[in-house]
Amino acid sequence: MTRNLTALAAALTMTVLAVGAARADGDPKRGAKVFEECRACHSLERGANGVGPDLHGVFGRRAGEAADFRYSPALKRSGITWTPQTLDAYVADPQKAIPANRMPYSGIPDARDRADLIAYMQQVFK
Amino acid sequence: MATKLKEVDVVIVGLGWTGGILAKELSETGLKVVALERGGMRSTASDFAVPSVRDELRYVHRHDLMQNTQKDTLTIRNNPSQEALPMRRLGSFLPGEVVGGSGVHWSGHTWRWTDNEFKVRTLYEERYGKNYIPADMTIQDWGITYAELEPYYDKFEYVAAVSGKAGNIRGQIQPGGNPFEAPRARDYPLPPLTPVLANEMFKTAAQNNGYHPFPRPSANASRAYTNPDGARFGACQYCGYCQRFGCEANAKGSPHMTVIPIAMRSPNFELRTNTWVTKVLKDTSGKRVTGVTYTNVLNGEEFEQPAAMVLLTAYAINNVHLMLLSGIGQPYDPVSQKGVIGKNYCYQTGAGATLFFEGRNFNPFMSAGGSSSTMDDYHANWNFDRSQHGFVGGYVVGGGFNTALPIGYRPVPRGTPAWGTAWKAATAKWYQTAMNIGASGSVMANRYNYYDLDPTYRNAFGLPLMRMTFDYKDNEHKMGRHAAQVVNDIAKSMNPTSFNPATARTEPWTVVPYQSTHNTGGTIMGTQPNNSALNKYLQSWDCHNLFVVGANVFAHNAAYNPTGPVGALAYWTADAIKNRYLKNPAPLVSA
Repeated sequence: MTRNLTALAAALTMTVLAVGAARADGDPKRGAKVFEECRACHSLERGANGVGPDLHGVFGRRAGEAADFRYSPALKRSGITWTPQTLDAYVADPQKAIPANRMPYSGIPDARDRADLIAYMQQVFK
Repeated sequence: MATKLKEVDVVIVGLGWTGGILAKELSETGLKVVALERGGMRSTASDFAVPSVRDELRYVHRHDLMQNTQKDTLTIRNNPSQEALPMRRLGSFLPGEVVGGSGVHWSGHTWRWTDNEFKVRTLYEERYGKNYIPADMTIQDWGITYAELEPYYDKFEYVAAVSGKAGNIRGQIQPGGNPFEAPRARDYPLPPLTPVLANEMFKTAAQNNGYHPFPRPSANASRAYTNPDGARFGACQYCGYCQRFGCEANAKGSPHMTVIPIAMRSPNFELRTNTWVTKVLKDTSGKRVTGVTYTNVLNGEEFEQPAAMVLLTAYAINNVHLMLLSGIGQPYDPVSQKGVIGKNYCYQTGAGATLFFEGRNFNPFMSAGGSSSTMDDYHANWNFDRSQHGFVGGYVVGGGFNTALPIGYRPVPRGTPAWGTAWKAATAKWYQTAMNIGASGSVMANRYNYYDLDPTYRNAFGLPLMRMTFDYKDNEHKMGRHAAQVVNDIAKSMNPTSFNPATARTEPWTVVPYQSTHNTGGTIMGTQPNNSALNKYLQSWDCHNLFVVGANVFAHNAAYNPTGPVGALAYWTADAIKNRYLKNPAPLVSA
């Protein structure tokens, strides 16, 4: 029984990871610091495209759909809608999540950093 | 007939690091500032986005960010007995020509030049005697001290996001930094970049040979950073497209993403792109400049822009050219050794080895501009006794990668055919297994290395081309032999499968292939009008409302990259103008 549960837990973990596991316990304060990584290119204000598109109200938006930004074909074709889960998978390893996208960034490997980042962004757009 | 425009307070000629710094600093004081830039606008978002920026053909081979030699170039010769011929294609050096200038396409290497340079003649005469310096070596003290410049180095390093490890903080030697550097008030704003395998291997080998390697300081942000002016940097992604490219991640400190956009937010500042300044105008007394004439290169329209103050902040060569074209200061004559404009042109030298390690994977496609370890044991190290070797100056040695590109970077062992099936097989076999160790050396000023106007060839505006007369002298050959020996000794100690040894150059300098964009001198700073074009505040001895800023003010060339003192001197000059000149517009040093 115990063995079965462990196996089940492992299987579940794998499934969840495959679609991107966003931890729900992010610390928005720490996340504001993590966002410094993104700031050189992305703003959270509407209409403030920089090197990258502005991220205003990103959750619920389809990838590659914000006005006035020239997205890569890969991002436009991805069919992704930004949720905490999809954003987590994307920033973990951008080229793995959406191959051939143009964001010049290698990703945030640490799951806690990502959770904090997403918690911060969710708080900003509450 | 030129259209005469309304007078402004300051006209800035050329908008790279120096022009950008001065544009920001002076427009903040309320002065009305106009910048004239030959090239067009460039921004990270619209010009350096992935994937279009990673275009080796466009940026490296077709020189997208560089001066167009069809409009203006130089004529080149090795000595005054030769006829100089125009350089019809860029080669040995690459002046930038866009908003941001060469500060867009540099690698970011940022050094602090010290009193070893600023007091070069005094120090060598004291230590080695007056006769040690050859008669034709026209080195002289610069008129400035390291202590004066230290706060301005600090300022520039924090603006440009330099990553590095201090070696000497207020006299305390810091482990892991350059023990030979001059004391600094504080550490770099950012820690060193993550090393790649080649710089780790070089570091170990240099240490095993008794040297003192340290991470090369460079304006490649090792992590996300906001500079004191509020400019935001992303973290370097080690993409491998640094030198000759704009940075896609805003991680390389560049004027187009720091000082220039800040100046552009000021209502006092105006930028006019695609404008080519042809002359600096003087009044009848010849003691003041009154503005500039320029041509709009898109439609050929000519303008006169009157100004209370003119700042020449173009590429080093072009600043000197404008002084000669405008007849400001006496042109240098190598025979009589009278005159100062064109004097003490210097370049750099070097020697390198390529090492092959069968079975190692160096991943050369992955690097930042500053992905290397370097050592200063034969340059800043004043305990190194030059008298046994008979040269003045020195060289730094480094190992690592910087912009090893897919087309151009093809290391193969010596003896490999230069083309065909065997070459292809060799590039495939050795690509991953090679690393370089390189020495970069100083060039001391020489009586016969100088600039003047060419008597024959003219540019697209009908103006005489600049003529460069340059060759390496005995001093550089002696140093080159020493450097090659040191590089090869370190290389051998690493037990490579094979290596292409460094060789000291013996042949005359030529304008191909690419060597270094560190052209210095021509309007040097100094202690008095008969030995220099500018005083220590980079103010013209002839016209006090003209300042000339850039590596053209260096009285000779060190082994280091020039941008550290170029940036620091721009801030130094900005302060002299703001705090002293504006209150009393007169010579800041009495002649």
